[in-house]
Amino acid sequence: MNPKNNLLIGAVIAIVVVMSYDVGVDPIAFAEGLPNLGIVLKEMTEFESEHWGTAFWAMLETIEMAFIGTILGVVISLPLSIFAARNISSKYVYAPLRALLAATRTFPSILWAILFVIVVGLGPFAGILAITLYTIGFISKLQYESIEAIDYDPVEATTAIGLSKLQLIRYVIIPESAPHLLSQILYMFDYNVRQTSILGIVGAGGIGFYIINYIKFFEYGKAAVFMLVVLITVLIIDWVSVKIRDKYIMKAQHGQQVKVKTN
Amino acid sequence: MVTINTASFSSIATLSVIQMRNVSASYDSKSFVLKNVSMNVKRGSNYAIVGASGSGKSTLLKLMNGMMIPSDGVVLYNYQKPDLKNKQYRKSISKIGYIPQTLGLVKNSSVLDNVMIGGLPRLNSINSFFKNFPKEELQHAHDVLKLVGLDEKSNRKVHMLSGGEKRRVAIARALMQKPDILLADEIVSELDAVTAREIMDVIRDAQKKFNLTAIMIHHDMNLALEYANRVAVIKEGDKVLEIGVEGDKIIDFQTGDMSQKEILEMYNES
Repeated sequence: MNPKNNLLIGAVIAIVVVMSYDVGVDPIAFAEGLPNLGIVLKEMTEFESEHWGTAFWAMLETIEMAFIGTILGVVISLPLSIFAARNISSKYVYAPLRALLAATRTFPSILWAILFVIVVGLGPFAGILAITLYTIGFISKLQYESIEAIDYDPVEATTAIGLSKLQLIRYVIIPESAPHLLSQILYMFDYNVRQTSILGIVGAGGIGFYIINYIKFFEYGKAAVFMLVVLITVLIIDWVSVKIRDKYIMKAQHGQQVKVKTN
Repeated sequence: MVTINTASFSSIATLSVIQMRNVSASYDSKSFVLKNVSMNVKRGSNYAIVGASGSGKSTLLKLMNGMMIPSDGVVLYNYQKPDLKNKQYRKSISKIGYIPQTLGLVKNSSVLDNVMIGGLPRLNSINSFFKNFPKEELQHAHDVLKLVGLDEKSNRKVHMLSGGEKRRVAIARALMQKPDILLADEIVSELDAVTAREIMDVIRDAQKKFNLTAIMIHHDMNLALEYANRVAVIKEGDKVLEIGVEGDKIIDFQTGDMSQKEILEMYNES
């Protein structure tokens, strides 16, 4: 390792130390408080099994919210991403649109949820709107980036044939950028389920409502049931999306069988 | 735009499809890719352009369909200046079947969808958006697919095809344009000798059937002499030679700046 690297690492450590002091990082408090965590964890193992049913239905509601929000968001994103792509749209369209999309991504969906609770009242609908808005910001960005990265050869060839812009979008741009879309949707749904799980904290529906309330009233045994359901669900969704990705997306992109590792 | 009243030239109009007069072209306004090239492609002929890579062959085709504007000189397609910015010209561009070297196929679409692209300029934007094709257009697509020998694979995705099959799709797409001229840029260069001749035969069949004028760029002089009835040789942006071929006889010989010795050397090389 050369001295320049050592200097850089030293500088980064120094900055972390100074910043930690500034924001009040206190290792002693952490060490002293650690036994509290032990108490919480112990109480958490005291499952109150009569809550499994409630937890299941609350999780189902969460998944439904995430699903609706993801699909609505994707449907709205598709036309927006075309207008936001630099290689298709005019500067006067894509520049403001991209700024708007960046704005929706700036705040996490829980902040949008608070806003929508004020607009439409407590309940899952506010959560769905928040998830939809965040999905629009995110999928539009991923999608306009993949549109900007498409192979330019078919665009050039079909322009020479004399296609209209709408035809170009329909027959070249969309098919060329679509293979990534399924993987993006899966990723987004996965992410949205986790996000929706905490939206209940601000009263926007879903399983988070139970978790936050039981924690507030020190009922860790009950909270644990709900948290475990979230954990299991997220793991299942993760596993399923990996399967789907392997089966369809790799094939669609390369047109061949994917080699699966065998242990 | 310079338009010549074709009525008064009607006798010539039936003769020339592409005319180039003293054309120079440049990508960066410093160095010229083509210098002072003139050529005249007659209707119904099979014109081959041969040259080494980087000699300016591809640029010639781009000048012919208006994807590039010459920096000097005049290019005329059917006595019209190709210019993509000109709306009237954009309508007639759909009659120029153009196959770039990269083929420009949409890899994730089916063979049929790729072929239909060639017919899109004739269709209404809204109907084509929903893939609502008129029966006769679909029939025509299947006809050209049969001609290139790919009708059974019309639902196959393009990325699953072999190199030869991809070229057949590109030919079918160009034929779907109902073209009166076919421009193809090194369409068989990357293929093995057998497949290359199969593809050339497909083009020859199509040419006979649709009465096409073909302008094809080749890397291989032998292939050009075998299939074309006129061969132009481009060297470093210059047209150095143009020959007329009939069977295996050379019937017409125009040299540019190339010496007799150089020509013989080149002919022996290939």
